[in-house]
Amino acid sequence: MAFQLAFAVLLRLGLALSPLRLILKDDDLLSSPLTSHSRLREGIYLFQHGIDPYSGGTFRHSPLFLSTFATVLPSSGVVCALLWLLVDAAGAWALVQIWRARSRLKSSRRDEVIAATYLLNPYIFLPSLSLSTSTFETTLHLISLMFASQGQASPALLILAISTNLSLPSLMLLPPTMLLLLTDPVSHLASPKPFPAKLTKTLPLLVEFLAYFAVLVLACSLVAGGWGWIESTWGAGILLPDLTPNPGLWWYFFTEMFDYFRPFFLMVFTMHLLIYVAPVCIKYQHDPLYATFLLLGIIAIFKPYPTLSDPGLFLSLIALFPETYPHLRYPIVTTLLHLHAALLLPLFHHLWLATGTGNANFFYASTLVFGIANGGALLDCAWAGLRVAIGEADERWVVLQE
Amino acid sequence: MPSLAVRVRSRIRSALSSGDNGAKVRRRRKLTAALWSNLAILRVLLLVAGYAWMLALPSPQLGGSETYIDENALQPAQVNTYWSWGEVRRADDYLAELEALRDRNASSEERARYFVDEFTKLGVPASTQSYSIRSSLGVSRGVNAYAIYTAPRASGTEAIVISASWLSLTDGYNLRGLSTVLALSAFLTRYSHWSKDLIFVLSDSHLDGMHAWLSTYHGSTQSNMQADELELSSGVIWTALNLDYPGHSFSHLGIFREGLNGRLPNQDLLNSVRVIAHHTAGVPVILYDHFDSSEWPGRQDVLKLIPSWVPQPIREHRDVIEYGYRAKNVFRQMAYQARGRASGAHGLFHQYRIDAVTLFAVPSNGPHGFYALGRTVESTLRTMNNLLERLHASFFFYILTTPGKFLKIGMYLPSAVLVAVALMFGGMGEWVSAGWVEIVDDDGGADAKESGKQQKQKRWVTRSRDVVPALGIMIATHVGGALLFLILSSRWFIAQQAALALPLMLLLAAIPLGVQLIFTDAYPAPAAASSTAAPLSLLLKALTLCLASTLISVTSVLNFSLAALLAVVFGAPLSLAGAPASPTAGLLRYVEYAVLALGWLAHGAQVREAVWQWEVLGVWFAPLVCVVYAPIMLQAGIVALLPP
Amino acid sequence: MQWLFLFSIALATCSASWAAHIDEEYNEELVLRALPNGKLAARFAFSTLLKGTTPRPPTKLSSDDASQHYTLFPLALGQLLREYAVTELHLTLNAGKWDYDSWGYPDEPGVGTGAELWTWMGDGAPTSIDERWKAIQNAFAGLFCASLGGMDTQRTTSPTRAFPPTGAMPHNARLRHATLPAENVCTENLTPFLKLLPCPAHAGIAALLAPHRVFDADWHGLGVHVRWRAGVGVELVLTVQAVMDPVRTSVEGKRDWSLRSLFDRTVPRACPVASSSHIKVFPPSSAVALALTPEPFWKGAAEAVYEVSQDTSDLDIAMRWPEEAKFTHPDRNLSSLSDFSVRRTLQGTTQTHGRLTVVLRNNRQTEIQTLYLETMPWHVEFYLHTLTVTCLGGKPCDHLFSNMTYIPPVPHAKPALLQAVLTLPPLATVRLSMNVRKSFLRYTEHPPDAQRGWELPPAVFIPVDSAARRMYTSPLLVDLPTPDFSMPYNVIIMSCTLIALLFGSLFNLFTRRFVVVKVYEDVARTVDVDDTKRK
Repeated sequence: MAFQLAFAVLLRLGLALSPLRLILKDDDLLSSPLTSHSRLREGIYLFQHGIDPYSGGTFRHSPLFLSTFATVLPSSGVVCALLWLLVDAAGAWALVQIWRARSRLKSSRRDEVIAATYLLNPYIFLPSLSLSTSTFETTLHLISLMFASQGQASPALLILAISTNLSLPSLMLLPPTMLLLLTDPVSHLASPKPFPAKLTKTLPLLVEFLAYFAVLVLACSLVAGGWGWIESTWGAGILLPDLTPNPGLWWYFFTEMFDYFRPFFLMVFTMHLLIYVAPVCIKYQHDPLYATFLLLGIIAIFKPYPTLSDPGLFLSLIALFPETYPHLRYPIVTTLLHLHAALLLPLFHHLWLATGTGNANFFYASTLVFGIANGGALLDCAWAGLRVAIGEADERWVVLQE
Repeated sequence: MPSLAVRVRSRIRSALSSGDNGAKVRRRRKLTAALWSNLAILRVLLLVAGYAWMLALPSPQLGGSETYIDENALQPAQVNTYWSWGEVRRADDYLAELEALRDRNASSEERARYFVDEFTKLGVPASTQSYSIRSSLGVSRGVNAYAIYTAPRASGTEAIVISASWLSLTDGYNLRGLSTVLALSAFLTRYSHWSKDLIFVLSDSHLDGMHAWLSTYHGSTQSNMQADELELSSGVIWTALNLDYPGHSFSHLGIFREGLNGRLPNQDLLNSVRVIAHHTAGVPVILYDHFDSSEWPGRQDVLKLIPSWVPQPIREHRDVIEYGYRAKNVFRQMAYQARGRASGAHGLFHQYRIDAVTLFAVPSNGPHGFYALGRTVESTLRTMNNLLERLHASFFFYILTTPGKFLKIGMYLPSAVLVAVALMFGGMGEWVSAGWVEIVDDDGGADAKESGKQQKQKRWVTRSRDVVPALGIMIATHVGGALLFLILSSRWFIAQQAALALPLMLLLAAIPLGVQLIFTDAYPAPAAASSTAAPLSLLLKALTLCLASTLISVTSVLNFSLAALLAVVFGAPLSLAGAPASPTAGLLRYVEYAVLALGWLAHGAQVREAVWQWEVLGVWFAPLVCVVYAPIMLQAGIVALLPP
Repeated sequence: MQWLFLFSIALATCSASWAAHIDEEYNEELVLRALPNGKLAARFAFSTLLKGTTPRPPTKLSSDDASQHYTLFPLALGQLLREYAVTELHLTLNAGKWDYDSWGYPDEPGVGTGAELWTWMGDGAPTSIDERWKAIQNAFAGLFCASLGGMDTQRTTSPTRAFPPTGAMPHNARLRHATLPAENVCTENLTPFLKLLPCPAHAGIAALLAPHRVFDADWHGLGVHVRWRAGVGVELVLTVQAVMDPVRTSVEGKRDWSLRSLFDRTVPRACPVASSSHIKVFPPSSAVALALTPEPFWKGAAEAVYEVSQDTSDLDIAMRWPEEAKFTHPDRNLSSLSDFSVRRTLQGTTQTHGRLTVVLRNNRQTEIQTLYLETMPWHVEFYLHTLTVTCLGGKPCDHLFSNMTYIPPVPHAKPALLQAVLTLPPLATVRLSMNVRKSFLRYTEHPPDAQRGWELPPAVFIPVDSAARRMYTSPLLVDLPTPDFSMPYNVIIMSCTLIALLFGSLFNLFTRRFVVVKVYEDVARTVDVDDTKRK
């Protein structure tokens, strides 16, 4: 199975060095206004020319990105492409670590398969080819999950704080991560039981997280020289000033929204995202890792500025839960929906914005298909995660809900 | 009354009540069982319906809607035209000098220089652009000439292009087209009612000159093209008109509209031209060079198409001839669109969201000439000049059955989608039958009366579906297709294509055979596996069918003609694909599919043309055939090779 | 007609009687330049001077203003200027693209296509500068029937380096500048404009301004310029510029012209209240012999001057080229009348991104330093990091692009402002180019003709060293991606349906309990039932 991994790595290397990234650089599906590489470089340019990048609407990255790329990391050229590839590799490695922690194995035959599927997942590697910073967010999620499932509280929380700083919705992952830190990542889907540890134990973790978060915010304000960055980074996720199309559900909704309803619906959409946290954590309290997995799926569907890498992360995480596969209800339907959506999204985007024969509704429709595909996958996983507990049944019996 | 309400409510409650989950499940199972048992018939019905619909597209009974002008600003044929015989004389003078240039076959530079001098005499800023485009078929060089007239009191943010290429889309020279443009440049610049700049482009060669000019104007670079920067610039181009006048006079004006990769211009443009030509110049407008079946030449053309064994009364029947005529139009459009070809120089504009058509003066002995053409063009330009917005009101997706009738997308799209659905059902069916196997548990004394019940006593058991090898095969074939494309578009292959085509075909066809010989032991004999693991052939067929179906339904929205082509070539063959019992039969099957997949390699000219179109104009047909069509066909063939 | 004449006489006499002790002065001038390419550039200037007056100080805005009495100065304008304490104001309404290469520099620099308004106002008034700016727009929109109200904060900038005051300034003066490239200029603007003149359309050179001829020109524009000349007074200059094309209008393609052939009018009589009224004619610098009739009042080195005095009647100046049968157009590539030529284009094939390219060619033997100004609405965002400056042969020479100031755009709110100094080596061609991003607008922000796109204001070039001769590029048209305007309800319905669907099914899944149902025998039985039915 090792050759799969080798193949994956070589292919990725080839792609990273190919001119493909110049074509994909400004693709709306792969990089949102909050993660676009062009905008990152614009921000760095302004920063280095003594213009406050947050005074305008072009640059919406976190000051963390600004400082690191303006000083340490390269932000252009082949080196940059290789850096992104490395970050992806780190993500794959973290994923494998999570799998090992969950399956309590030092190493298994699945390791290479998991890594390879992650590296070859088009939703993962296309954004990283387009040098979208969402690749960093994805990898940081995985690493914080890895630490959490290895029971190392401080690094897990620190990295979660960082990824929250980079994109606010990641905050939703805090509760399940804390639960995960208090229990173990091993699969308890088959044997649901109430949450073993005391919830009061989460308080110190919460405090620690808040401390990290506060420090980061201060550091950002130092870098940006003021609080202006909050409005143009996190504010963007709440006020949606930039209506560039993406695979998500927000952009067209608020393009077509009547002005006097805009604030109301912005509030509704933001709240709606938070509603899911508690129920998911309660329902899957016996397996916090699975709860995190589902929450990632929910974020991928409903977050304000999603890119393909958000559903990509969710889909690659499925590799961690082989015990649920027999109970998936419509895997082929979901797969075909994803296939259709994955083909329709770029084609309709081209039809609307390049050839001009189709209008915005074409692309909107394809984002709806994509939403349905992701939703289908999410529901199927949620069902399977609960269904595992009941165990095998031959076809004389059916298991259903009432 | 309340009693009724109560009853209804109780009915609903009983329907929804959790009590009869069993019944619900049973209902669902019966439904699925019914669907399952009739799946084969359903698939056939869908296929037949799809193909029948395609055949019905040209039928007069299907009708189609009358074309109409949707954009109110256009106001076609509402202006007085001033194009007079004086202008015709001027055009004749230009023609004489152009003929002189042609006869002493002047170089591109000479010609362009001449054009620029003529423009300069008129006080219209003009310039030249020399270009060279490399492709595996060789290098094409040339020099374009263009002039930009800035309209009085216009801000220069909008422009109209009026163009003619040195070569006609028939193989002749387009001298009369060029002299018309020159005469127009002298004539139009005398008026101050233009709200948009006028750009006169006299492009070299046929397609490549115009391509070089357009891509430079829009700043899109191309690795295999060197073209000078344009010294003059103007604003956004919304509409363009390309003139093609090869003969010495013409009887009809033919409209060519298909653009690169199946893009069509907004229908308002065609309809305006038709209205204008009819009212302003009294010239009948036809599609391409297809004469209307009501006129006698057109009628003869159609009759020629109908095979001779068809009995006289049927051949002569009005509807049959009408059908033949419309079928001719529809087929011509599909032939252009499916291959992504541009039917003229206008087709290159479409990729930049410029709506353009070619006015083709159908060569004949009269009665029309410069006078009619000039009036038509002047009035058409005035109509374009009226535009306040980019053309957007009318249709971009349509099929013209006659110059005045068209099919909306809803009228033709389902035909391809039906086939796609049939394939999808096929794929799903295979997937299910790969996942389940029905085994008879032989218990209970089998007497004749009970036997019927015994039949029912079968049990379905699931078996594992390992899709990795199937996916592996599919990916491998598609990668192979990509390699095939690289070979085809390489210079050395094109060089000795005639010699290499057949060996290449055989080689590619042989690879799966060899692989199968080597790996035949890698997969356990089916008999052992079939009850626990699904046979590879079923899985591969299932996935292939699903993939093909997806491709068809996705393409149908972008480029119906291409989708229809795919539906025709995929529909029946893939549905029939399967693993026959004996290896030899399988081998024969495989050969058939291999021929289907790679047979086109033998057609050298088409291959070269497709490669050129890809390398120079970026037409997707060649890579599509290599990377999508051939591999899927091969997969169907491999299904036949695999053990059932 | 007759009473009109009487009226003007009356006006003349009364103003003459005033003229002894009035502190107002009115001068008019017409300059006609015959251009090498056969065209003719005309410039009318009507200037009124309020001697010894000063603009109203902004601090006094709260208190009542001293009453104003004007005889020549247009009252409507004077009131506005006092009302909002405007120190300096420039309004131009132009139609067409000024061709610097073959027409040279205009006498009035403000030739940007469409409407352009910029004012210098002293701060410190009870009402803020921006409120007064808005009020001025609306007032002038009413006065000139132009839709200046569209110059909102999304188009207003303050490019002080490019638009310095031409007169004296109070301390802490502020600049407000905005352009409307899409503004059309026509008769409805000229009529109120002429009303501001002391001798509207009946006497003096203003009589030549016949709309149907002026608006048939290749280029025409109106201008209002108010400035405060310290010690002298407040000066108002009303200008009309036009570029006529005698060759196009003449049948046999000659470039001969006369006032009648150009304006379909002659100068009937002098304007009685004008203290000076000249017509200057500049023949082209070509060897071909020409005849100028009537004999000019005074002949200078380059120009011939005519005096419109009380005893002139029906003055019709004509210029002819006797031995020229047909005008032959010169090759415009040979010589350019401007120091450097500019070509500005917005290229690109998609509606999401484009590339802004500015090509400058220095036509002189000397190095030129010029200030480059871009005021870009937020609809188009610059990617400055992609900015490339290339010389001949595409070799980079970024050193030519120096001390840049940039104010980034704010979506839905403020435009971008880019100023930088460009150095053009002698006879060199410099190419500036950068990527731009086209914004996606809310459907309420699109204009009714959304498919047309948006006109972007022209870039402005101001030579750093030499006397300020602003150069305007042509505006650009950018087509922004449009949503479907019929969709709001459908989108709300469909998106919400999808969300509700996922939400509902997920919580369904979480809340309902699992049950195991036994079905196999039932299925068997149903099959039996079917068999019996079939029998």
